[in-house]
Amino acid sequence: MNASKLVSDRDGLARRIAYRVLLVAVRGRRRRGGDWGEAVLAEFPETRGTGAGMRWMVGGLRVAWRERRARVRQLPRYQRIGRRFAFTALTGGLAAFLLGQFVLTPTYMPSGSMEPTLRIGDRYLVDKVAFRMTGIHRNDIVTVEVRQPDLTPESRRFVKRVVGLPGDTLTCRDGAVLRNGTVIARRRVDGDSSIPVSCEEITVPKDHVYVLGDFLDVSLDSRQLGPIPQKDVVGRVVARIWPTIG
Amino acid sequence: MPRIPHTSPQTVRLFEALLADPRQWRYGYDLSRETGLASGTLYPILMRLSDQSLLETTWEPSDAPGRPPRHTYRLTPDGLALAETRLAARNAGPASSTGSAPSTVSAKVPRLSARTRTAGGAA
Repeated sequence: MNASKLVSDRDGLARRIAYRVLLVAVRGRRRRGGDWGEAVLAEFPETRGTGAGMRWMVGGLRVAWRERRARVRQLPRYQRIGRRFAFTALTGGLAAFLLGQFVLTPTYMPSGSMEPTLRIGDRYLVDKVAFRMTGIHRNDIVTVEVRQPDLTPESRRFVKRVVGLPGDTLTCRDGAVLRNGTVIARRRVDGDSSIPVSCEEITVPKDHVYVLGDFLDVSLDSRQLGPIPQKDVVGRVVARIWPTIG
Repeated sequence: MPRIPHTSPQTVRLFEALLADPRQWRYGYDLSRETGLASGTLYPILMRLSDQSLLETTWEPSDAPGRPPRHTYRLTPDGLALAETRLAARNAGPASSTGSAPSTVSAKVPRLSARTRTAGGAA
């Protein structure tokens, strides 16, 4: 039986697609689907117009699904369990992957610039969605994508603490960082630092943030990089997941 | 109390359409138009009725060339009796379709023998 004959050539593309979808849902790879699916399929040419065809098709999907479930119930028990298991594992795995990539990502800390809050090798969770709705606040720990070829060889992700929002004025004096005239962070060791600090007074522009590492002595941050565009903030650290204590 | 089967407004609407001419074989699409039920509502009801031998089905060759046979439906004698009961219960008013009233109604559904059913199907 030639399926394409069932929908007339005068039918619009949408109707032909609807028919096709129903056909696949009813038959799959078999030559003939279940009685009820075939029944809905055979009535499709009676419908008139795109909307009616679509509605008929959607209802037909429901019928095909019911018949399919009834067929699956006939299968041996081990096969049903196996199928259910495979389906669950697949969808669960996919969901976990997508969640881990785009929503709540586990990451590890490669450097000591956030000590003692995060130490080298610590694992933490980064929220990549919710912070876009709640906005970025002072003291949030964020991951930022830095693109400055002269300071970092390639685009790199840093974990830093937000200390300045647009309008804040930041400056450095004697190894300490001041926001609007108040000291907010200090170097722990006086004297030479491995990172040359030459931060000039700056007012954070619109749509930027000023970020610092908690360990000022070793951190490469807005003191050298300048304010970071907010569009380069890729996530907010939600919690440390390993180690759980300490 | 368990739900009484085949009392939903949709099912009763279908009964009504099938009772218009009980001897006539009906197409699914026509039933859908008459009852205003979408295919996804209508066909599951038909499937249920057919499973319980309240509805008989057959494939009728299509008159148009190149088209597949169409599935057609009509009530079995059992189905006919049940449909009439349900329709009467609905028309008697909503009060009788709730509470304990329908259970007495369903008790009155005549039980026809299997032989009568076969004869009705072949007729």
